Amino acid sequence: MINLYIDTSSSYLYSALIKDKKILQEVKENYGQKLSVEALPQIIKLFEIASITPKDIEKIFVVVGPGSFTGIRIGVTIAKTMAFSLKKSIIPVSSLKAMAISARKDTPYIMPLIDARRGYVYGAVYDKNMREVVKEQHILLTELVDKVPDTYSVISNDQLPVTVSREEYDPDILKIVTFYDSEKPISPHLVNPNYLKRTEAEEKHGV
Amino acid sequence: MKDIYILGIESSCDETSCAIVKNGKEEIATIISSQIDIHEEFGGVVPEIASREHVKNITIVIEKCLKEANMTMEEMDAIAITYGPGLIGSLLIGLEAAKTLAYIYQKPLIPIHHIAGHIYANSLVHELKFPLLALVVSGGHTELVKMKDHFQFEKLGGTLDDAIGECYDKVARVLGLPYPGGPKLDQLAKEGNPTYPLPIPLHDDSYNFSFSGLKSAVINLVHKEKQAGREIRKADLAASFQQVAVESLVSKTKKALENENIKYLIVAGGVAANQKLRIEITNMCQELGVTLSIPPLKFCTDNAAMIASAGYYAYKLGRRADYYLNSISSCPLS
Repeated sequence: MINLYIDTSSSYLYSALIKDKKILQEVKENYGQKLSVEALPQIIKLFEIASITPKDIEKIFVVVGPGSFTGIRIGVTIAKTMAFSLKKSIIPVSSLKAMAISARKDTPYIMPLIDARRGYVYGAVYDKNMREVVKEQHILLTELVDKVPDTYSVISNDQLPVTVSREEYDPDILKIVTFYDSEKPISPHLVNPNYLKRTEAEEKHGV
Repeated sequence: MKDIYILGIESSCDETSCAIVKNGKEEIATIISSQIDIHEEFGGVVPEIASREHVKNITIVIEKCLKEANMTMEEMDAIAITYGPGLIGSLLIGLEAAKTLAYIYQKPLIPIHHIAGHIYANSLVHELKFPLLALVVSGGHTELVKMKDHFQFEKLGGTLDDAIGECYDKVARVLGLPYPGGPKLDQLAKEGNPTYPLPIPLHDDSYNFSFSGLKSAVINLVHKEKQAGREIRKADLAASFQQVAVESLVSKTKKALENENIKYLIVAGGVAANQKLRIEITNMCQELGVTLSIPPLKFCTDNAAMIASAGYYAYKLGRRADYYLNSISSCPLS
């Protein structure tokens, strides 16, 4: 059973082919502004190096956000089109939960953070069993910090003003896929980004 | 000869569209998911909202198109995609989907310029005859393009500021018409007379257009009349605006046809639906003995059938893109 993992919710491409609890081939690369150009060719490279054809895939795990709006849509569009074409289903993955799952620090609580600018973050708080103690949201960092019940550490690739120890996010794709594997796969038509934030036009318009 | 089927995808603005066209001229199926109702509330297209809608709709639109055509992806000869110009976030959705389809089904990927698509919309009704002149008028474009042969584009002129459709929508807004106001302004103008004096924009020897000055002139006029305590005769103002806007398009097109000695004119883009423009340009072509082709309305506004049609001719010419193809928000016609 072979699964494909795709995350383009930041400027990085994190993607892997996973077979029987083993990573066959993976890519973790910061493509910056070039992500839209590189994402598909790099995913194709994974298939080629692993000598696997897309038809062999069972499920696609795709990170649906929160994160860069444009970034999320790149991965989600590739995953949806691929799954639709191959008649496969998709398991949507939260970028924040993927971060929490990958944390190596051993604190009672873990707070994954993505910079959303002007003091705001996309963040959440999880306990050791990956239960959402503070649900994922678009929130002022100062407000989120007030909601943590106990000792925690932060996982983030962004330079944010946090007082506790912070570790860089290096996705443990195998662990993420294993965690999400029991989730119910859904039809590609129904997979959509989870922005956690309305557009500015909607906010101004009060919709 | 074997029939060639091209699947086209278009997502450059606020329509998610997929179409299948046979041999460049026969529309087999076209699906368009329009977001017009969503953007109406904001008085114009909001790029981030457009992108969000595209990603929701893209696979559904592709599936519906194949179903309506009663065909499979395996039967397609190639996939044609609008790579630009347009809203970058919107373009990207169609592009990533097209690249992925091309990879999964191992089909050639054909990059199509959006304006080329508008021009080739005509080949869905008549075969293109060269040399031709194309007047492309829409919410995003106002261009005069000469073609000596398939995909041999020579831009003679274009707008230096606002596109004609954009100008129509903005003036319509000043007149209190809801978005998209262009077509409504065209209707309203029929009830009035061109009694307000407005300047003919960029009345010079070039093939270029300029519409921001005209837009400002309308805004200033409305402002002055209000200050003087006079009621605006909306239908008359609509007629006055339309008179000079269309005059500008027709006179420059006429000059290009004469100077370049071209006997075949194509009008394309959403503004080709404008009644006044159709009448004036038809009269001008009759006067010059020029053959005029305007595609039916459904092929004038953004749609994927025009992309698939252009895709056929590009396919024949061996034009291909690899999986590194990127979306470009503004790019010259090629």
